[in-house]
Amino acid sequence: MTSGPIPEIEAELAKLPPAVLEAYHEANDSVKESFGEEEIGLWAKEGLTIGTQTVRSWESAIEYYRVSPEVSKFLSFPSFMQWARCGTYLAQDSPTLAVSFFNSSVSIVPNLRPQYIPRWAGLGRSLYKGTWKSSTLAAKFFEVSPDLVRNLPFWDVEVFASLIEALSYKSYDVAGECLVLGRDVLPAMGREREPFLAMSRALIDTSWREVKTCLELVPRALQQVDEAQTGRFLKLGERLAKVGLRNTSKFLSDGTQALSKVPQGSQGYILDLCDALVVITPDAVPPFLKSLDDVLNRITVSQLDTWFQHGAHLLQENPESGIAFFKIESNTSESMLETLSSSLELDRVKSILRLYCRALAGTGLEIFDSQELVSRNIGWVDEGTASTDGTKIFLPPVVDHYTNKQDNFSWFKVVSTHQVAHLEFGSFEYEFEKPTSQFEDLRHEMEQKAIQRKEDQRALAKEDYDMAARLLTSGAEGDVEMTPMFDDPNDMGSMRTFTDIGRFLELFENSRLGFDIFAVLEDCRLDYRIKVEYPGIRAVSSRVQGETLANRPRIEDMPLQQGLVELLVHMSLDQFQDLPVAIEYKEAGEMLSSILHQLRTAEANVEDTAEATLRAYEIISRVPNEQEEDDQFEEQDLEEPGDFSEEDYQSLVDQLQAGMDASSDGGDGESYESPDPVDYRGDFKPEMVQLMTKLQADSGEQGEAQPMTQEMLEQLLQESPELEMDAEQGEVDSNMSMFAQNIMKEAGAPPPNSQPGEGYGPLLHDDDSGGELEAREPETYVYDEWDFRANDYKPRWCIVKEKLVEEGDATFYQESLKTYSALSNHIRRQFELIMPESMRKTYRLVDGEDIDLNAALEAWADLRMGVPPDEKIYWHRNRNRREVAVVFLLDMSASTAEAIDEGRQTVDDRDAPDDPVEYMVWLRRRREGLVRRNYKRIIDLEKEGTTLLINALESIGDTYGIYGFSGYGRENVEFYVIKDINEEFSDKVKRRIDKVTPLHATRMGAAIRHAITKLDNQDAKTKIMFLISDGRPQDRGYSREGVEKEYAVHDTHMALVEAKHKDIIPFCLTVDKAGHDYLKSMCGDMGYEVLADIWSLPERLPMLYRQLTAVR
Amino acid sequence: MVEAAPETEAHFKEYAIEEFLVRDEPYYRPIGDEIELFTAAYRQHIPVLLKGPTGCGKTRFVEFMAWQLGRPMATIKEKSGKEEELKEGEVRVPLVTIACHEDLTASDLVGRYLLDANGTRWIDGPMTRAVKNGAILYLDEVVEARKDTTVLIHPLTDHRRILPIEKTGSIVEADDRFLLCVSYNPGYQSALKDLKHSTRQRFISIEFYYPPADIETEIIQRESGCSKEHADALAKLGEKIRNLEEHGLQEGASTRLLIYAGRLMSEGITPRRAAQVAIVWTLTDDPELQRSIEEVSSSIFE
Repeated sequence: MTSGPIPEIEAELAKLPPAVLEAYHEANDSVKESFGEEEIGLWAKEGLTIGTQTVRSWESAIEYYRVSPEVSKFLSFPSFMQWARCGTYLAQDSPTLAVSFFNSSVSIVPNLRPQYIPRWAGLGRSLYKGTWKSSTLAAKFFEVSPDLVRNLPFWDVEVFASLIEALSYKSYDVAGECLVLGRDVLPAMGREREPFLAMSRALIDTSWREVKTCLELVPRALQQVDEAQTGRFLKLGERLAKVGLRNTSKFLSDGTQALSKVPQGSQGYILDLCDALVVITPDAVPPFLKSLDDVLNRITVSQLDTWFQHGAHLLQENPESGIAFFKIESNTSESMLETLSSSLELDRVKSILRLYCRALAGTGLEIFDSQELVSRNIGWVDEGTASTDGTKIFLPPVVDHYTNKQDNFSWFKVVSTHQVAHLEFGSFEYEFEKPTSQFEDLRHEMEQKAIQRKEDQRALAKEDYDMAARLLTSGAEGDVEMTPMFDDPNDMGSMRTFTDIGRFLELFENSRLGFDIFAVLEDCRLDYRIKVEYPGIRAVSSRVQGETLANRPRIEDMPLQQGLVELLVHMSLDQFQDLPVAIEYKEAGEMLSSILHQLRTAEANVEDTAEATLRAYEIISRVPNEQEEDDQFEEQDLEEPGDFSEEDYQSLVDQLQAGMDASSDGGDGESYESPDPVDYRGDFKPEMVQLMTKLQADSGEQGEAQPMTQEMLEQLLQESPELEMDAEQGEVDSNMSMFAQNIMKEAGAPPPNSQPGEGYGPLLHDDDSGGELEAREPETYVYDEWDFRANDYKPRWCIVKEKLVEEGDATFYQESLKTYSALSNHIRRQFELIMPESMRKTYRLVDGEDIDLNAALEAWADLRMGVPPDEKIYWHRNRNRREVAVVFLLDMSASTAEAIDEGRQTVDDRDAPDDPVEYMVWLRRRREGLVRRNYKRIIDLEKEGTTLLINALESIGDTYGIYGFSGYGRENVEFYVIKDINEEFSDKVKRRIDKVTPLHATRMGAAIRHAITKLDNQDAKTKIMFLISDGRPQDRGYSREGVEKEYAVHDTHMALVEAKHKDIIPFCLTVDKAGHDYLKSMCGDMGYEVLADIWSLPERLPMLYRQLTAVR
Repeated sequence: MVEAAPETEAHFKEYAIEEFLVRDEPYYRPIGDEIELFTAAYRQHIPVLLKGPTGCGKTRFVEFMAWQLGRPMATIKEKSGKEEELKEGEVRVPLVTIACHEDLTASDLVGRYLLDANGTRWIDGPMTRAVKNGAILYLDEVVEARKDTTVLIHPLTDHRRILPIEKTGSIVEADDRFLLCVSYNPGYQSALKDLKHSTRQRFISIEFYYPPADIETEIIQRESGCSKEHADALAKLGEKIRNLEEHGLQEGASTRLLIYAGRLMSEGITPRRAAQVAIVWTLTDDPELQRSIEEVSSSIFE
């Protein structure tokens, strides 16, 4: 072993301090295990080289030998030598450096790829600048390296090292401290490490002292800021650092503080805002973040937008005042916060108002944002006003009329009470033929007149038409094509009689005037009823009326006819004193007042309003719509106009008519314009409501009455005065047809031009060809299918593939629970009611937990009596679980993607524009898009229902599995596992629900059979299979000869029967309104339900389950 | 199971259960033909099942009927020899009320042997006593009772009208005046606790619901002594709250609660406050629901 160069080397080593040789010998033995003979020589020699580099490098050599055995275990010989050589170079520069290099190597080598070793050594070397301080820093670097390398990717270590180097030019001390801090802080970071290092790097140029503070602060920031947002947050810091913001650490701490106060989901939005600010003035970011906490204590995140926009605009005009704004050191800012903080958003009180309205109306009303109604595009156009379509109440999204929340809420209450009153007091139940109580019947007479008028017009039109036709035929020689100048008069029939309200409004020549009067009078009637029925709201409602009055236009400024309508508005708002009426029409004013007073009684109904409207119209329409001088008006007191009398009315009308005939000097004055809307009363569209109701009812029964076509509907809408159109005629037409289409959709009528079966894809080929299938892959199963014509099973016909649903986000689950919190509590309670059943004591048992005292005493008494005693004297608490196992099968077919609300717009996904103003507009739009997305699909409701169910099921501990099914063709029946029947409920399940999406077709039979298999393996007393679908079963080739839908229905039926044979209770729930047709044959005597209202699915599902499991 | 009479003379009155008689006419406002129905059933020995939500007047109705049927004008075949024992003007149909619960055993109803110093002694249960003394036996919330107890009433409710007492080996024949009357609330009957059909089909059923608004006004006014306006508003509030039954509220405001509110009002409590404590807070613990109901109440009451 001592051959070759070794003795020589040893001799050389002996010249160095003796410790070197000692170390060598010590290491030699163990190194031999790793290296060959020749290699040992090289190894020993390298030590010598190290030792002889400089005067003090023998220390390095000792360290070299000392760690060699350990290092050699991890490195191949070439790598080892490369490593040793790195040490040699380092020893050349500074033996201390080499010592720490070797020293750290022991722990670093196992974690560092060999090719990185030179780079690593280089990193340390680059920190060494020949000074004592720098060598300490470099040595420290080697010291912390093992930790860094173990926890960070190597390139991050490199970036960090270069950061430290850059910092070392400023101060070695700070660099050293940062090095240590970095070791502790960096490993904890994930993706955000990169932006953080970039930010720190940017800081060195501008304010290097901040780096250390940032390192200290960052762990807290990471804890409190939403994981997904930290990267952006730090990038923002980098941008700020680059533009020279001084106190980045302050930004970091304030920012963290601010963001931690913001709800998780909104942090991204705050950062959006910061980004917008950086573009304008970076200096504004820190004050903004600093104020944020304070601001958010006063207003909500969604209100923040308004405040921020204002500040941003200020900032653009004048940075100083902008910054003051964000510091909340300006009046504008302060007062804006005040207004905002007192304003009330509908979302916050929606659920209270919903229950309030439901209580008042006694029907299952829903509350929606009025923007919702507008976006449905069925004729409502005003976003800011309340309205109702008969089943939903629409309210403005925000109220900020008053400076405190309480008043704003009261306003909401007044508005919704008024809307509910339309339902409660029957505005929409108008029936033309229903007798009135306050007036004599005038409408039939008027109808005759109206018909007469129409006929006259028609005759006139016909005359013109014939004339034109004659002219054309006589003028030409016969081959001239006749272009009709007029529509064929016979086509001029009206559709308005479709609804009763329409029939009524048809009576008026000036239908706009007629409708306006009707609306005012009806609102007047309702407001009066509200005040009588709900005294509690009287005070608030009077205040609102008073405020409305204060903002009404002056009657004197209006043309006479409009002035009289405005007079009605004033009176309907409870002003009867000091009303200016033109002297000439004093009687008319009095008569209008007495007509209106007829409605101010609890007995008046909507039919009375209609009769009153006829009379008011007769009067007002006979007044010329001309401007009158101020001095021609006189203040009137119309509080007590005296009782209404038909005779007086008639003579007034005659008188007015005479006046009109007399002064027939041509022009009728100005054309009539509707009065300004009364804010709190909102939009009143009785004809639309009646129309929708009727269409819905018609589409329900089908047949008999000729269904309304889109053309008819369009014409009807054109004629209705309820739809206000200021646009050009062409646009109106297109609007009308759009409205008509949307209304048809809403009403559930089939859209025009659609062929039955369209959208399901052509059933091109049926799979009758082809034979049995084999399940080859894992998690696939083969099932038979029932052929009802053959009256037999097709063997091994379908392949069911079981798959796990992907995991998404658990927020869907939580959000659903939140949305339905009241309901979910209710359901939970209902479910818990079942529970005691299993925990009930059972008495009179032969054995049990304890002696049943009653039974024991009886037994004792029996003994004394000499009667044989009953030996059942124990009781036992029945701890058995409810023995229920249930499988839920969710339809995941493509049709479940159908939106329940139509007409939603897609989110604007353009890239962020550069211009700050545009950017903010974009930001706002994007945000609103996100916040207001309320576009629900059938599947969403299925999912929500499932969520509620899971929540409830967990409370009673039934065994349950949730599966989705879909597929394409018989060899591809997909069976998705959301929660397997034996799986414990976990976050995974929550996340899977999120990913349930509409897929392909529905081959129910196979899916049901697979579910049966699942249930059959369960050991439970009661087994239930719950099928939730949105239509009939359908799939490629799921029919005989591709046409008979019956095939699918029969197969499904058979599958359900099979379930029954295995003691499984099947139950089908469908949201398909046409479900009754096929469900009857599909389910036979098994349970099924057709949900009339899709929205009730989440509510109904758990309830049904409860009933189902309860009946045994 | 002893009910004290409303008027306390010295300290309290104690009755044997079968001796409790409804002496003063209880206030009952008929809504339909329930009085005629009950009277007819009583005469024909048909047991009666009263269905309806809590606090809508089921118990009051039975009390009223006991009083009414017991009055001399009601022609009931008397068991000879009983008449002398009656004091002047005393009524003759006692009312035995038993609130059913899930631990109620058959011997609780029929009776049991008790141990005493000398051996054992048989004690009649309330049911036996009612049967023997010809009382109206009123089993409140009968679905709560255990299945074995409901079976007990079977021989009593058909043509046999007997009560077999297994323990003593005897059979008690029901007095002519005896009538079984049960009640239950379909609202919170979880389908598990439904009455068996073999039991159910031994009764005629009279359905109760909250009275219509005008009658309810009358009842509230009469029972609570509050003003007509308040009674009117309370009835309206009750109606509105009942609209919420399907929307998160378990059960609507009972007439009883409305009367409580009315009573508070007649003592000078402000209407909104009275409605709050008597109705809103009683009905639900859900803050949102409370707030909504309170908004309704604040719309109705000034």
